[in-house]
Amino acid sequence: MNVVITGAAGGLGRAFAVECAKRGYNLILTDIFEDGLKILKEGLIRRYDINVIYYACDITDEQQIEKLKEYISIRNIYIDMLFNVAGIDHEGAFTQRSFAQINDIVKVNIEATLRITYMMLNFKRTDEPFRIINVSSLASQFPMPLKAVYAASKRFILDFSYALNEELNEKSVYVLSLCPGGLATTKSAIEGMAVQGFFGNATSNRLEVVARRTIDKSLRKRRVYIPGTLNRIFSVAGRFLPVTMVTRVIYMRWKRALSLRCSM
Amino acid sequence: MGMVPMKNVVITGATSGIGLAVCESLLLSGHRVIGIGRSAESSEKALSYLISKTNDADITFFNADLMQMEEVRIVSAKIMEYIDTNWDGKLDVLINNAGCVRSRYCTTKEGYEQQFALNHLAAFLMTYSLINPLIKSKGRVIITSSESHKGMKIRWDDLMFTRFYRPLMAYKQSKLANMLFSFGLNDRYSVYGIRAYCIDPGLVNTEIGLKQTFGIVSLAWSLRRKKGVQPDVPAKTYLYLVESDKHPVGLYIHKNKPKEYSSYVNRENADRLWKISEKLCSIEFGRFQ
Repeated sequence: MNVVITGAAGGLGRAFAVECAKRGYNLILTDIFEDGLKILKEGLIRRYDINVIYYACDITDEQQIEKLKEYISIRNIYIDMLFNVAGIDHEGAFTQRSFAQINDIVKVNIEATLRITYMMLNFKRTDEPFRIINVSSLASQFPMPLKAVYAASKRFILDFSYALNEELNEKSVYVLSLCPGGLATTKSAIEGMAVQGFFGNATSNRLEVVARRTIDKSLRKRRVYIPGTLNRIFSVAGRFLPVTMVTRVIYMRWKRALSLRCSM
Repeated sequence: MGMVPMKNVVITGATSGIGLAVCESLLLSGHRVIGIGRSAESSEKALSYLISKTNDADITFFNADLMQMEEVRIVSAKIMEYIDTNWDGKLDVLINNAGCVRSRYCTTKEGYEQQFALNHLAAFLMTYSLINPLIKSKGRVIITSSESHKGMKIRWDDLMFTRFYRPLMAYKQSKLANMLFSFGLNDRYSVYGIRAYCIDPGLVNTEIGLKQTFGIVSLAWSLRRKKGVQPDVPAKTYLYLVESDKHPVGLYIHKNKPKEYSSYVNRENADRLWKISEKLCSIEFGRFQ
């Protein structure tokens, strides 16, 4: 099994890399930070008997993606699984962010994901399944004031994944969207959950469990995975409650959390 | 009463909690200290505190995030250089004190679980890197372990708790690893005159359980720490181990006295962990040439 992971040097990408390595999959890692990839590769091959290669690139750059494609094709590698993990967020009110920041969210979360997916499908083995895991977010389930562009970009990924799965199912391409709540990946992510108080903790997910179950579910051809019972309840409730009300409640929560965080 | 000879000491996790208190008492007794802190900011703060408390303090700080093996390598090379130029290539005591608590599974850049990486592997690699100056002065290695190592086993099939993470179990295992490492170090290096100890500091009122934690872990610790002693209480034990004329007996020390430790700490387990740690740090440590 050959696996590509984008955003592999970050918390969730790294957790997927470790989980795949544990299962004996070979890894092709990519991220914008070369240093992180190099160190992760060393850590993985010390622990597991697998092949790891990495290629550092900016996935929003068309030319660099072409080079990544070349890098894979000259090695004659087929791919069985793709993890679109790379994603960014610039939290805060729409008008308080620069347009460049807003555009970046769209470019990384949407455009780059599409580009990578399009490109990697070229390396599918004939007659073998190809699995795609798109990292969406719990934010994809509702409109989110103060994370408006991010939440909408993740909604895009969710809808796109459902549709693509249907389109390519007969060619045995299976697409799963992962919609996690908070993950304790970085110091600022942990602080972000701490200021949300009880619900920050309750909606957060365990990184190692999410990594393991996501792969299990993808192997079982599932289309969406929302980890955590409470998160699933929220998601279902969001479908039945009026959207204006949900949006208002979320706005009040985020406003409070954000102001707490700024005063820290 | 004879004067205690001046010792050269390296201590990790020197900017707060037990480490800071140990620094203070070492400096007050006239020893020379290198402290390692995680950030320039915290080192700066610790330095100005220590200078305000002591006159003519001989202390130098280096910064490194020791849970990243790469940073242990870089900082230990800098320290080696410092020891060679200023301390005549001799290190009397290395105190591996830095440690952390996490409430969730978090990984280092290498993909290692953070408590295991910092609490055990960093100590392992740091000791390896500074072993020559330690041999030169027949020095001591002290590790901050804990009573929580008891009743614990090493999860050999899943050292980094990737299966289901239990914060307290991961912490206990890392402290057991400290014991096994000291045991293994004595096995391999006592012929060179080196001696390793683990200290049980007891329950101490520090911020270890509040940094980068949330939910139940930080709540439990904020309640529990109130019952703990101030960090200057265990600092006395460190000072005793630093200053003793001959290597004191014992492996696991509490309040200047050897204490009974888990029967899991034996040669078989120590050797097994040693081999894995070597592989995880990609070094060969203490093989006979």
